[in-house]
Amino acid sequence: MDRQMQNTRSITLRNELADSSKLADFLSNYVKTYKIPGDTYNDLRLVLEETFVNIASYAFDKHGGQTITVDLTNTAGEISITFTDTGIAFNPLNHAADNIETDDHCEGGMGIHIIRSLTDRQQYDRVGQSNVFTLTKHYTKQNNE
Amino acid sequence: MSLDIVITPEANNGKRISIAGSLDSNTAPELQQSIDNEINDSVNATVIDFKGLDFLSSAGLRVIFKAKKMMDGNGGKFLMVNLQPQIKKVFEIIKALDGMNVFKDQAEMDEYLTAMQDKVKEGE
Repeated sequence: MDRQMQNTRSITLRNELADSSKLADFLSNYVKTYKIPGDTYNDLRLVLEETFVNIASYAFDKHGGQTITVDLTNTAGEISITFTDTGIAFNPLNHAADNIETDDHCEGGMGIHIIRSLTDRQQYDRVGQSNVFTLTKHYTKQNNE
Repeated sequence: MSLDIVITPEANNGKRISIAGSLDSNTAPELQQSIDNEINDSVNATVIDFKGLDFLSSAGLRVIFKAKKMMDGNGGKFLMVNLQPQIKKVFEIIKALDGMNVFKDQAEMDEYLTAMQDKVKEGE
């Protein structure tokens, strides 16, 4: 097993908003295992929530009955998050507010702006019948490892 | 991940909404319901107290901004106090702090409210 595989954890969720709490618990366990710093955890929690809600809300014709898989991989000060689902083609990056400063904040579109702000890379691919959305974030390791 | 909501009266027909826990896609409807029940034209000021809040997502932000919009429309005041750093950061990311009445703690908000009341008295 290579190093990347050793550091990967996965969870499969239903395409229902209620499952976002399972994703938060999964992340909480992951950051404890790999001693990810608290401020990085706060950012990741928000990124995971926003991405999951976006995909669960827009990549499917209806809530429930389908799944979204989330993989977390952590290597050399970089965390990679991959969301995979078999919904309709949906690129979350196209779902941003036009102008975050002037738009009505009561409307949608803030989520993807938050995701872009808190991650270093965002990549969407349609692979066969699947949406694959990968986010990467750099972080500084804690000294007490 | 749950949200605790406590609503208490404030001076001069105001309402304080104290929220603790997680304001996210699952809990935002609970806060919306509380605001719908408690905040109306007769409320002069709404204070959102974030002291116990440790997580805020865009679904929660929308409820906060909707409440602000309603208070602005009524000519009332909308104030936010006790934001933890990770909560303030979310507002900063979406560049939404300009034009908001945000106070780091109760003392700072009291100072502001006293100054406002003094201004009103001077105008009487």
